[in-house]
Amino acid sequence: MSLSPYVPIIGMFALAAGFAVMSVAIAPFLGPRRFNKAKLAAYECGIEPSPEPIGGGRVPVKFYLTAMLFIVFDIEIIFLYPWAVSFDSLGLFGFVEMLLFIGTVFIAYAYVWRRGGLDWD
Amino acid sequence: MEDLSLPKIDYAAVAPMLILFGVACVGVLFEGVLPKAARRVTQLVLALLGLVAALSVIVWQSDTRVLTAGGAVAIDGPTLFLQGAIIVLGIMALLLIGDRAMEHGGAFVAQAAITVGSEADRKQAVKEQGATEVYPLTVFAIAGMLLFVAANDLLTMFVALEVFSLPLYLLCALARRRRLLSQEAALKYFLLGAYASAFFLFGVALVYGFAGGVEFGTIHDSVTESTQSTVLLYAGLAMIAIGLLFKAAAAPFHVWTPDVYQGAPTPITGLMAACTKVAAFGGLLRVLYVGFDGVAWDYTPILGVVAVLTMLIGAVLAVTQTDIKRLLAYSSIANAGYLLVGVLALSKDGLSSTMFYLVAYGFTVIAAFGVVTLVRDADGEATHLSRWAGLGRRSPLYAGIFTFILLAFAGIPLTSGFIAKFAVFGAALDSGEAWLVVFGVVTSMLLAFPYLRVVVMMWLSEPGESTPTVSIPGGLTAAALVIGVVATLVLGVAPAPLLDLTTSAADFVR
Amino acid sequence: MRPVIPYVTAALLFGLGVYGVLRRRNAVLVLMSVELMLNAVNLILITADTTVRAALPQTGQVFALFVIVIAAAEVGVGLAIVLQLYRLRATVAVDDVPLEKVDA
Repeated sequence: MSLSPYVPIIGMFALAAGFAVMSVAIAPFLGPRRFNKAKLAAYECGIEPSPEPIGGGRVPVKFYLTAMLFIVFDIEIIFLYPWAVSFDSLGLFGFVEMLLFIGTVFIAYAYVWRRGGLDWD
Repeated sequence: MEDLSLPKIDYAAVAPMLILFGVACVGVLFEGVLPKAARRVTQLVLALLGLVAALSVIVWQSDTRVLTAGGAVAIDGPTLFLQGAIIVLGIMALLLIGDRAMEHGGAFVAQAAITVGSEADRKQAVKEQGATEVYPLTVFAIAGMLLFVAANDLLTMFVALEVFSLPLYLLCALARRRRLLSQEAALKYFLLGAYASAFFLFGVALVYGFAGGVEFGTIHDSVTESTQSTVLLYAGLAMIAIGLLFKAAAAPFHVWTPDVYQGAPTPITGLMAACTKVAAFGGLLRVLYVGFDGVAWDYTPILGVVAVLTMLIGAVLAVTQTDIKRLLAYSSIANAGYLLVGVLALSKDGLSSTMFYLVAYGFTVIAAFGVVTLVRDADGEATHLSRWAGLGRRSPLYAGIFTFILLAFAGIPLTSGFIAKFAVFGAALDSGEAWLVVFGVVTSMLLAFPYLRVVVMMWLSEPGESTPTVSIPGGLTAAALVIGVVATLVLGVAPAPLLDLTTSAADFVR
Repeated sequence: MRPVIPYVTAALLFGLGVYGVLRRRNAVLVLMSVELMLNAVNLILITADTTVRAALPQTGQVFALFVIVIAAAEVGVGLAIVLQLYRLRATVAVDDVPLEKVDA
């Protein structure tokens, strides 16, 4: 068994690691440094940073709800990729099928929207 | 890019599934746009109309025998018969689900997201109408089952398995009373179900590696012709069988059954006991008869042991139960064993008798859970067996109906249970599986004991302080009960038409 | 060439998933273990796609897409059920679910 097919993958790993290290390493030399309060604060995923995590480090359940909705709708769209690749040979049949598929996804979206699944508060 | 040849789709043949999926989608849309007050009636009517429309298409298409959608779906005798059975039983279950006469707001919780035991929960338990999402969910589940029994390749089968399982997991969590029990049942069902379906999928991948395709025709050809190592094949078949036997509630994959049957809202338990069983055995029949018939000699002894274990565990543990829903759950496990005996006959008779058994059992079990929804006290359904003592004095009619149902389960002549057991055991004897029949008869006698105990309790005990009242059923439950009991009686007295139908339908296309 | 490494990796991942389901007592981790099993299957499907002489090319890859979508749907339903339990009991340990003792 030859390992040669894995050489490009290992090369890819090395490139990715190198890029990450390089970005962090050269940023202080290239970028201008003008700090303000907001920049110095810890980044906490868009919410007010707090020294004590809210509720003992537990994330509010709303995040999960939104994340779950995002994941489900995001993943559904995976079927668009094979369709996009073979769009020409699938022709009208594929187009109509895709419209139907997107229609069903939109029905779910309409339900979530109307029933308040997208409201934050 | 090479030209793709588009699959030919026989739209008339797959119309029942398209109708039901469409109805379910429209139902979801209605949930979003309709005002609260109008939802329940609209959803119930829409779901019933959809089911009736799908059933009429099946009857109209009853001579169709095609492979369609690029070989992914097989519409043949067994498919049409089982689809028809699932829809009829689904209509009965939907009638139970839709009834709100016995309890204000119906058997389902209004807002499943409200924490159990909180102030808001107490308020909603008294005031709010039940959630109407149950109707589209039920239709999705039934549509998934239709696709499951029609699936002619393992991937379609897996997709259909998930399509009918996911709504069922959610439906289990929606009971109005005893919400804790209901949510915990849903969690157990979900975790074990997801685990089993992962095994099923692993089996699919292994078989794909062996056969180079997942259509049953391809698998059949490579099973008979292939010269390569069969390790992948056997490992794959074993794992696929695990996934299917889990849904069919066969031992040793039955452990979820009593908890889930007890915790789920009773109408949903009826749906699971009747329709899921039909779907699971429909899938199992197709896998074993069409895809893997070339290795029948190798899997028959193993599945035979599974069948014997299932019958023994179901019958023995049914004796020790003190809750009527758990008793019916173990009875359902034992019945999965009898069905497996029919499946393992591996003949045309085996196929037709199994299909007959599924229908007969389905009618009876939905009627049984229908009666369970009626026996209630202030806290909801009184499911503990001791509470049923003396019910015969309180309400001779419903105690009589339940007695008849239990006798049908026990396989007393003049009920459908007798004819069904007779048919599967006969088919197994003809195929030389006498050992299975011996176990079948012994466990049937064993299983008659818990049934008769309930009968004796209902009629020969004095009603006490705690004997609950039997509610007057609403029109929908009454209709489901009448259909179930009449079908049980008719199939017991004059089974010939349905037996003929199953015999003429007992041919798979490959 | 038979691609041994992906098959072995997939089998290990699947075994890890099985171990996780059996050993973990946290419902979310059990859910993650099941996802791991499904992803192991994806790896097998894509590997098998390159080696088996299938009638249609690239079927294995398309299967993987279906599995990914279904896994996402399963997680959606599963997390909903687990979150319910969490709100109620402030714990998601599956052996902390006393079905028998609960009344009403």
